[in-house]
Amino acid sequence: MSQIPIPEDRHFRPRLLGYDPQKSRPWLERTVYSAYVFVFWLIVIGTYAGVPALFGALGWDSGWGFVLMRTLQVVLLFLLSAVIALLLILLLRKYLGKVQERYGPMHYGPAGGIQTVFDALKLLAKEDFVPAAADVLTFRLAPAITFVASFAMFAVIPFASGWVLADTNVGLIYLIAVSTLSAYGVLLGGVSSGNKWALIGALRAGAQMVSYEIPLALVFLTVAVWSGTLSLGGIVDAQLGLWNFLPLALPFVLYVIASLAELKHIPFDFPEAESELIAGYNVEYSGMSFAFFFLAEFVELFLLPALIVVFFFGGWHGPLFGLEPGSLAAGALESLYFTAKTAVWVWIFLWIRATLPRYRDDQLMEFAWKAMIPLALFGLVLAAYLRLIWR
Amino acid sequence: MEARMKQERLYDEDVYTVHPEDYRALCERLAGEGYDFPRAISGIDMGYGLRVTLQLTRMKDLAKVTVRTDVPYDNPVVPSVTDLWPGVEWYEREAYDMLGLRFEGHPDLRRILLEDEWALHPLLKRYDTGGYPVPGWEPKPWPDPEPWAPPPPPEPEEAGEADEGGEAS
Amino acid sequence: MSTMSLEPVPGRSDEMIVNMGPQHPATHGVLRVVLGLEGERITRAVPHIGYLHRNHEKIEEARTYPMVIPYTDRMDYVSGTQNELPFVLAVEDMLGIEVPDRAKKIRTMFFELYRLASHLVWMGTAMLDLGAISPFLYTFWDREIILGIVEKTAGARMLPNYYTFGGVRRDVHPDFFKDVADFLDHMERRMVDYEHLVLESPVVHARTIGVGVLSKERAVARGVSGPVLRASGVAYDVRKAFPYDAYPDVEFEIPTSPDGDTYARFWVRFQEMYQSIRILRQLVELTPKTGPYKGKAPARIKPPAGERYRAVENSRGELGVLVVSDGTDKPYRVKHRGAAFSNLQIVPDLFEGAKFSDAIAILASLDPVFGEIDR
Repeated sequence: MSQIPIPEDRHFRPRLLGYDPQKSRPWLERTVYSAYVFVFWLIVIGTYAGVPALFGALGWDSGWGFVLMRTLQVVLLFLLSAVIALLLILLLRKYLGKVQERYGPMHYGPAGGIQTVFDALKLLAKEDFVPAAADVLTFRLAPAITFVASFAMFAVIPFASGWVLADTNVGLIYLIAVSTLSAYGVLLGGVSSGNKWALIGALRAGAQMVSYEIPLALVFLTVAVWSGTLSLGGIVDAQLGLWNFLPLALPFVLYVIASLAELKHIPFDFPEAESELIAGYNVEYSGMSFAFFFLAEFVELFLLPALIVVFFFGGWHGPLFGLEPGSLAAGALESLYFTAKTAVWVWIFLWIRATLPRYRDDQLMEFAWKAMIPLALFGLVLAAYLRLIWR
Repeated sequence: MEARMKQERLYDEDVYTVHPEDYRALCERLAGEGYDFPRAISGIDMGYGLRVTLQLTRMKDLAKVTVRTDVPYDNPVVPSVTDLWPGVEWYEREAYDMLGLRFEGHPDLRRILLEDEWALHPLLKRYDTGGYPVPGWEPKPWPDPEPWAPPPPPEPEEAGEADEGGEAS
Repeated sequence: MSTMSLEPVPGRSDEMIVNMGPQHPATHGVLRVVLGLEGERITRAVPHIGYLHRNHEKIEEARTYPMVIPYTDRMDYVSGTQNELPFVLAVEDMLGIEVPDRAKKIRTMFFELYRLASHLVWMGTAMLDLGAISPFLYTFWDREIILGIVEKTAGARMLPNYYTFGGVRRDVHPDFFKDVADFLDHMERRMVDYEHLVLESPVVHARTIGVGVLSKERAVARGVSGPVLRASGVAYDVRKAFPYDAYPDVEFEIPTSPDGDTYARFWVRFQEMYQSIRILRQLVELTPKTGPYKGKAPARIKPPAGERYRAVENSRGELGVLVVSDGTDKPYRVKHRGAAFSNLQIVPDLFEGAKFSDAIAILASLDPVFGEIDR
């Protein structure tokens, strides 16, 4: 009979019971992540530099050619969101494994690297079941709304200087509108499922949306006041000397909390709280409908940290090592900086998810109405005042 | 009540065996004496009838008491004591479920472990573990003296010995 | 078990009737609670049990006395040998079997090891119910060590069938005492982490303090026992009240809390783990390393006609058994008094008026195990 292992320190690694972190081949794992990030990077370069260059060379950059170019860019962005989801799901499972002293997926691909591809294939092959009590049209529409609303946020995200699909001067207002839409999908999906748990989840999602959207919008406003522009590119440019998280520390903290709520992420995952509502609003979804909810969740898990970076951490800014701004090489480097900063925030969100329990839903609402909104208003006034005396 | 009650000391518990008509009165008396912690109600198929065993503890001094009463098969009705100790609610339901004991005055006397539509009361000795009737099972005659008959008063010449036994136990 | 649902109240259209369970992730098995929900607030709650019912009591009537012991194991399946003890004690009383002192101490050591194991499972699952995934995995690794220690001696992990009339079935493994001592060193270090993760977490505070308050009088009248009762301020512990085995030989305290809320129940269980470590430390020193592990018991166990109730303080409270013997080698009737069974009766009291999320926390703090409740 094997010796029972009694570890020396309290940071317990139950090696002799079978767990050995080296068995998960950490370097191979990192190589896999790097490969995903490389593909991600290639797609970003292709979308924002390759496709316009190609169409420019062909002379198709006006009229229907422009429409075709944009369509191609959107298709590439869809591919990008799929890559993001594949990577983030893998990362989440692997990272939870690390925190919990287990391996995570290990069997498909190098160090479990293409496990999520197989998961996606399984979801594709599954029956897309519609419950008898469901309102079929709404039920079918809800995942699409959720996904499209998350996906549409890509339009205004600047990956590098000038690398943005629509550098509109109402970027912030567009973001508020679109991010609110994604809650509609959740609400409709839950209500139309004909399931009481889904209904409770949907109601919670609705209540949560009403609570955190206001501080979120106030933070957007603070950032706009501070930067003097509603365009995301302009906001990033305004941070050339000083990243916003220092002068706007209070709105920054509020924004992170509100992002957690918007993501439906622990400690605010009330709409899906699996130990309370089983799976909440998506309990009746299966197959590809469910996959779209899932995809939307992980695309948002990329986009909201990306927005933190855009608003508070200088977006794509970083040392360019003498590269000429605006060139392809500079853009590629800038998008890499952007991705790296976002990755840090994704990791922080995953860390929170791995360690914290869940609050009660009315506590979030109480916090939102009694603390976050007054603080956000205070932050707004403070930012306006600072801007008046400083700039 | 005293005429139809047998009181004895078994290990560390006072055991009262009473007539079902006096069961409720005795329970009220015990509740008044401060027995506040209901341990369990057990139904037992005695072969001649059904026995209800109620076990109580007094939290103050940890005194333990057991109340027994026997009812015939054809009329297994016992008054409920859920109003005195709400904690026996599920035990009475369980005794009803397993043996068919009916507790009068119970707020919600339904089966608890088995399905509502279950046909029989499985802990009765007339069924085997498979739920089939045991061939040749006959109820035994009611015991004589009755279970709650108090022990006869000691004979005068043996009174001294009985007293010694009482002190020793 | 019941297929019954709640009848809607006439004229009330804002109440939604929801079936929580029997396949709900937070019900720790197969509890079904029919809830009337008014928004997030619970208006009515009716628990239904019996989905894991196997009728142990009927099976045990058809088995000889030694054959009953493995069945008792299957009641509270996370606290192993603790279930065997009341039956073994009752039969020993009826037969007058003497248990050697060393066997008593070994029994107590296993008893307390399983209390630690059970409380570790509770901690993991309670935190899982509150939404934290990781503590579950940590506690299960630690429990794994306990089960390994038990396996080395008893040969089985969860359902060891180790106690027997007059002592234990076989002597402990030569490494047993060293293993336990090492494990206790480890456990003391880990308890620091667990306090950080559970008792000191502000999220846990927000979820549990002031939630599901159970008053002292209500708890006693409802027959609640164990940590739930002690969290309501009643210092009733069978280990102190009616000592058995080696408990008179060791020093320990009964942690109580006057609050009676969910956090108090969490806190009391934590303190109990410290007390278990303390008891085990003393027993590692006190227990002779060699000696008899089993007293003289008759080859055929035939207790004289009569009945005996014995109770022990298992991880959930007073686990009792009423053994009725008719003088044959099979028990005439075995009635188990389940601690979790009694504790679960307060579900309607605590749920009504609580928020739905609170109900999950309350249920987690009651720590029901359905093997014992449904039997």
